[in-house]
Amino acid sequence: MAEPLMRRILEEPGEGSAALRLVRSSLPEALRSHVQSARALDREIKDAAGEGAFPTAVPAIDRLLDGGLPRGQLVELVGSRTSGRFSTLLAVLAAATSVGEAAALVDLGDGLDPDAALGAGVDLERFLWARPARLKEALAATEMLIAGGFPLVALDLGNPPVRGGRGVEAAWLRLARAARAHDSVLLVGSPYRVSGTAAGVVLKAGRVRAAWRGGAGSPWLLAGGASQIVLEKCRGRLHGQAEDLTLATAAVPRPEAPPALPGPKPQTRPREEERPAAVTPFLRRAAAG
Amino acid sequence: MASPRIACLLLPLFPLAARLRSEPELIREALVVVEGNGNAARVVAATRLARAASVRPGLTLTQARALCPKLVARPRDGECERTAQEALLEVAESFSPRVEDAGEGIVYLDVDGIERHYPGSTPELDLGRALMNAADAASLPARAGIASSKLAARVAAGLPEPPVIVPAGEEAAFLAPLPLQRLAPEVDVADTLERWGVRSVGDFARLPPSRVASRLGRLGRELHATARGLDPRPLMPREPPPVFHEGMSLEWPLVALEPFLFVGRAALDRLCQRLESRGFACIRLVLELRLEPDGHQSRSVDLPAPTRDVKTLLTLIRLELEARPPGAPVAGFAFLAYPDRPREAQLSMHGPAALSPDKLATTLARLFALLGPDRVGSPRPVNGHRPERFSLVDFSPPPPPEVRREPRAGRGLLSVRVLRPPLEIEVLTAAGNGDAETPVEIRQPATEEAAKRTSVEGQVKVASGPWGLEEEWWADDPTGRDYWDVEIAGRGLYRIYRERATGTWYADGIYD
Repeated sequence: MAEPLMRRILEEPGEGSAALRLVRSSLPEALRSHVQSARALDREIKDAAGEGAFPTAVPAIDRLLDGGLPRGQLVELVGSRTSGRFSTLLAVLAAATSVGEAAALVDLGDGLDPDAALGAGVDLERFLWARPARLKEALAATEMLIAGGFPLVALDLGNPPVRGGRGVEAAWLRLARAARAHDSVLLVGSPYRVSGTAAGVVLKAGRVRAAWRGGAGSPWLLAGGASQIVLEKCRGRLHGQAEDLTLATAAVPRPEAPPALPGPKPQTRPREEERPAAVTPFLRRAAAG
Repeated sequence: MASPRIACLLLPLFPLAARLRSEPELIREALVVVEGNGNAARVVAATRLARAASVRPGLTLTQARALCPKLVARPRDGECERTAQEALLEVAESFSPRVEDAGEGIVYLDVDGIERHYPGSTPELDLGRALMNAADAASLPARAGIASSKLAARVAAGLPEPPVIVPAGEEAAFLAPLPLQRLAPEVDVADTLERWGVRSVGDFARLPPSRVASRLGRLGRELHATARGLDPRPLMPREPPPVFHEGMSLEWPLVALEPFLFVGRAALDRLCQRLESRGFACIRLVLELRLEPDGHQSRSVDLPAPTRDVKTLLTLIRLELEARPPGAPVAGFAFLAYPDRPREAQLSMHGPAALSPDKLATTLARLFALLGPDRVGSPRPVNGHRPERFSLVDFSPPPPPEVRREPRAGRGLLSVRVLRPPLEIEVLTAAGNGDAETPVEIRQPATEEAAKRTSVEGQVKVASGPWGLEEEWWADDPTGRDYWDVEIAGRGLYRIYRERATGTWYADGIYD
């Protein structure tokens, strides 16, 4: 019964408050306090219809979350070192800026290489980079950016030891509320769970299994790696679902599947004709130069 | 030639009005503004409540307090008066570009043709009311008068029941019945004329000009001309100042930050209102402090984008003062705002929403204050190959596309998280197949600094390298490095390098 009334609220803005009162009066006493405003109802309807998703162009995440990150929520991406967490953050930022939206990265670990961001497809003109020194500053900067209207704010805590610890849960709840109020996506990348109950979605990235090419007389080249992203928490969805995440280095073709790990003795020096196939953008440029 | 039409905005009891503008909470008190110190302090202006207790200008403060024990006294404040005069000028400039600053709460403006914006039956009267309403909105209870000369306009503005309009050519008739004090209250010659029995402006105008000139000199001749409605002084338009100024002297010197910010907030509020009324925002804010017993300090805050958000400006001032306290009690202050046009944005119908320029400016200013200007911005790669280097430019995003695009397919790249600054490590090597030594084990030095950083140590499972990097070989301090990609068993993928000059090993990135 409630949905047609909600539609009426949205379609007849002039009568919104009257219709909202009608909706609230028709609800049981216990539920009335949950219906706060027409905007909240609108968001509920969009969430239910899956219209509020923020596409990430990372197939694993888009498949797990039915189209992308939910707007207005704190999404926590947990992953230890070499889990593909930072690459995934950059990919999400690249997707946001490629559609013409502004995006911000609060980089507590101070680990961004602008070359790497450019290589991942981030439009640097629409990208704001903040480099706090402590977690407290990072949380404050994140809240300012959300209040400033950024539709996507990524907060990366770097690798342990995180400068400032985990933060208090009240601060994370405050950020989640700010994201909800401004309909922004707040993506928190952390080495371990930090946001507690504030996170609407929690994804966990496993350790990347490195893919090497070469051996047996030819030099070893880092070709990329493969990992898995597991859905650990999301309202209305089955937990434990996993999707494969495949990552390649810039100059080496993407491996179809991670090859078996080679033995521990890479001994050969790269042949001269293979030197240009460098593994990072700056080395590629060095080789080209 | 048609005579010009000049409006006068007059702020009666100017020192009092200026003080009440800065301290509006005193409006319901019996307040006097005094000039002079100690026993020599004399009342200059008094509120209605004080005047009801027979407090009059000219009384000493002691006499005034005897008449009204609850009297609140404030010294005459040049800073308050200066900003009130500026605000009055800005009200006039919102009506006409030709405005003259006559000082002491008097402003003239050329209103020739402006009455056409008021299509009613009494356009000049409506214009006068609009002028007074605009001044009221700026907390200035000004009166307005309109005439064809500055003198007649000022006299008209001083009359009760404003606005008073003097039709063109009727200045002499308008002035004739008025007492001589209205003509030039500050001139002593009016007393002399009263002793002669000349009481009204009309009586004076009827005297022969040559005899007035021979008895009263040049001043008398000019006064006689004004009495006949002749005022040849043209309007002298002012050049608008390049900065907006707002400040006041404090009754008690302040030593703590919070009380100062409380007073400063009210001044910033007024300053931002004035900027907004002119369509400006602040790009640079300067705080000038007058210290006790003597001394001045000046603080400047540059903003990344024009803003008129009071909260942001106050936060920036707070951070500036916390970082560098004045070191002495503050006896007075002034804010100087350098104006700039605020950024504008066109809303998109079908594309993604643009960031609000106002909000963005505010956000950037607050981030600058929180993190420092070298830690916020839009990153750019720099020429060269060393990965730890970068540059930051101001964040000023282009407008979003008119139509929402689909996100570009991800490249699925494994990126490097830079360790900034590079982490010094110890590397054990073994002979490889070529002439290079291959890393086989990485250890971290047991230093206090290393304990605070990410640990990079363990047996090397696979190593790929060396990849040479040479930069600026022509310089005194060239860069020569041999890079390796290494996989440490159970710990992840790292990028390490050896400085050719020193042989020192560093870890400078984690594949993540």
